[in-house]
Amino acid sequence: MGIFFARCSQLGADIVTMWARYGSQYLGGMWSTLKLAVLGTAIGCLIGFLCGILSTIPCAPQDNPVKRFFLKLIRVIIRVYVEVFRGTPMILQAVFIFYGLPYFSGNVFHWGNVFVASLVVVSINTGAYMAESVRGGFLSIDPGQTEGAKAIGMNHVQTMTHVIIPQAFRVLLPQIGNNLIINIKDTSVMFIIGYGELFSIHRAAVGASYLYFPSAAIEMVAYLCMTLASSIILRWLEHKMDGDDNYELVAADQLVGAAGTYTSPKSGSPYDEQSKEFKRKKGGEQA
Amino acid sequence: MSDAILEINHLSKSFGTHEVLTDIDFTVRPGDVTSIIGASGSGKSTLLRCVNLLETPSSGEILYHGTDVARRGFDATAYRAKVGMVFQSFNLFNNMTVLKNCMIGQMIVGKKSKEEAEANALKYLEKVGMTPYINARPRQLSGGQKQRVAIARALAMDPEVLLFDEPTSALDPEMVGEVLNVMRALADEGMTMLVVTHEMAFARDVSNHVVFMANGVICEQGDPKEVFVNPQKEETKDFLARFLNG
Repeated sequence: MGIFFARCSQLGADIVTMWARYGSQYLGGMWSTLKLAVLGTAIGCLIGFLCGILSTIPCAPQDNPVKRFFLKLIRVIIRVYVEVFRGTPMILQAVFIFYGLPYFSGNVFHWGNVFVASLVVVSINTGAYMAESVRGGFLSIDPGQTEGAKAIGMNHVQTMTHVIIPQAFRVLLPQIGNNLIINIKDTSVMFIIGYGELFSIHRAAVGASYLYFPSAAIEMVAYLCMTLASSIILRWLEHKMDGDDNYELVAADQLVGAAGTYTSPKSGSPYDEQSKEFKRKKGGEQA
Repeated sequence: MSDAILEINHLSKSFGTHEVLTDIDFTVRPGDVTSIIGASGSGKSTLLRCVNLLETPSSGEILYHGTDVARRGFDATAYRAKVGMVFQSFNLFNNMTVLKNCMIGQMIVGKKSKEEAEANALKYLEKVGMTPYINARPRQLSGGQKQRVAIARALAMDPEVLLFDEPTSALDPEMVGEVLNVMRALADEGMTMLVVTHEMAFARDVSNHVVFMANGVICEQGDPKEVFVNPQKEETKDFLARFLNG
């Protein structure tokens, strides 16, 4: 037991030392990680929704062959994109995209900015996951909503943007939150192409100080702070999107009969003066 | 015949090898209130969905002021904006308030300004008695109230014909009356309506034309007094006997 407490106090002291020396670097790393994860998730969602809209364009047998060919082609391309980027590790995608550009262009093109390259990788990766989630989200919306929109003359894009996406977005919000939290953690693989996110700060700090465990503890807490904050914000957003349970009633509804107001001409309502029940009650009170 | 809004000629519809509608012919003229009656599975709803092009007819033509809208490659959106539809399951947009439900089509499809759309929506919501609930969302309303909003939403598009697909079938009995009252008021104002219904009293008293369907064909059609009082076909007699005495 004694050794455990000794270790704890040692760890505490080391953490204080590390934070004093590298605190601003850790904070900078957190900022870089958040920037990449939030932007990457947002762009990934856009890609996902775009793929979802494109792959749900209705394709009827009576449409003209050119349109049908393009719709089929689009679906195949999206399918391939999803399978490739969902089925390979992000760390390898980063390597391929970052070093692939100079490799295949014979060193003519380079990624000038590591952040941009990382953002492209994270966005494309998230987009592949979101494409499937979005398709599932669209399927979960009652087909009656689409029919209602069609019946007042909306086309596919109008139906999607005004009716289906707002509803699917609410359904997908937990999934978007999942992706954001996964991205906050998984952007740590971007050290491989030299992006200065939180995990790369750890590698640098440990390399200089040899205090491996205290630095890892700081990192753990830092990641947890970021993911917890995201969770709380997303929950709040969900709650806000659901809207108020109450609504303002402007006046009474004239057409609807309120429960219990029906009166039969013969017997009257239970509290009517003509009602036998009422009379009996009244009589009983008098007696 | 050129005064007809809709003329359905030799319309057939198959799902796979199963033929649901066979050689349907009828005409809708301005001010007509046509009721389509018949047993469940006789093809009434499919016929109505074909008229609004929610289902694509397998063969035959649907003439809208003389233009065939069922032909291949026809752009259905402009036509649908002029032919309103009220569904059995309401199909109100769940992400919008009652008022927004009635405005969105006018603004997006009808290209009206927000103010114009709102004034128009309020006019029709008042007509169906839903003014108190303009800020409510569909999930907060009863079935009868939802259906009245759905009627207002369809009316707000200024349709030439209003199609009703069993508008009261999904409602609790005490809510049927409020919806039928609204429909009766519309009919009295001269709205052209095509109504698939199981409400025989409505078909008999409000409509001026009745189409009786059985097994995907029109078995008998004509003036409601003729069809209800003096049905010619055995199927019609059986069906009406079950409904009116049952």
